[in-house]
Amino acid sequence: MVGNTAEAEDLTQEAFLQLFRKISTFRGESAFSTWLHRLAVNVVLMKLRKKSGKETSLEQVTEPDEESGSPRRDFGAPDLKLSGSLDRVNIQRAVDQLPPGYKAVFVLHDVQGYEHNEIAEIMGCSIGNSKSQLHKARMRLRELLHEVVREKAREDRRAAESASSGED
Amino acid sequence: MDTMNCNAFLDQLEQWMDGDRSADAQSHLRACPQCRGVVDDLESIHQVAASMDAADPAPPEKIWLALRSQLEQEGLIHGEELTWAEALATWFGGVFSAVPRPALAGAYMVALIAVGITIAGRSYTPINGSQVSTQPLMAQLNTAEQDAVSSMTNSDPVVVASLHKNLAIVDNYIALCEKSVQEEPESEVARDYLYGAYQQKAELLAQITERGDDR
Repeated sequence: MVGNTAEAEDLTQEAFLQLFRKISTFRGESAFSTWLHRLAVNVVLMKLRKKSGKETSLEQVTEPDEESGSPRRDFGAPDLKLSGSLDRVNIQRAVDQLPPGYKAVFVLHDVQGYEHNEIAEIMGCSIGNSKSQLHKARMRLRELLHEVVREKAREDRRAAESASSGED
Repeated sequence: MDTMNCNAFLDQLEQWMDGDRSADAQSHLRACPQCRGVVDDLESIHQVAASMDAADPAPPEKIWLALRSQLEQEGLIHGEELTWAEALATWFGGVFSAVPRPALAGAYMVALIAVGITIAGRSYTPINGSQVSTQPLMAQLNTAEQDAVSSMTNSDPVVVASLHKNLAIVDNYIALCEKSVQEEPESEVARDYLYGAYQQKAELLAQITERGDDR
């Protein structure tokens, strides 16, 4: 979720520390796996929010209003299809640029395969909220990935131009 | 026939991706290459993302060592400097202060002592992996488990189900730790984890017995 191995290791350690510190607060009201996942997601979200400069309450795990508007309706140029240029590296780079709440829901659902009802419990939000955050996350990713495709097309064009001017 | 425009389709895109697909939306998608492009993109993102989970590497060993050191500093766990007697005293102190009752007699007590002595003594007598047989210990813990669980027969079925689930989790953890010890008999870290796993099971059984006795 953080897209950086060293940071992921630090956060893994922090999550286990929190587990040891807080295990006595587990009251069996939810499945232990859900409780543990929520704890781990909170550790990651706290880190992401610190990085993005937002000191937001942990309870406010989904995106604030300014992030929750309708997704932009940009079809992209018809010849710019993502399928050929989509790989893990590109997606990871784009995911890194998502706001923390979008990122968490996207990684939990699309990468780790959790269902919306499980994410709602882990994130402490409604199922509808989880669904809408996922949709907005995917639409934002699509925009970011289109930007990658456009940039690559520009680079290819420049390379072709400099190659042809070299031949002259 | 396409009775929907692109805006109306995009309004339903979230539901479409969630599998809720009206006939109108399906007709529109067949007729509209632009909206089909958007759906194809989102499906591609979903497919590539799903393949990323398997690429996640397992955390390296150094994390567990750093975690152990931090937990020792915070006093949440105790380090190797404890003698086996101190380790036993600390451990039994914790368990018995929570459950100072005759219910701990019999198989449960035998299991606790056997596990404690065998594993706590590890730092004094280097244990050759091939000589470590955990089967008798597990058998004793299993007997203790049966006793503890039978003390819960009149309890809330939801609580009983939850305790069974927790026992299954601890048993899984023990199995994993035993596998690690078998694979790396000389690894102190692996033996520590196995020790911790047995301790967790013993403590869980203590809690179950305590709940059973409270009723």
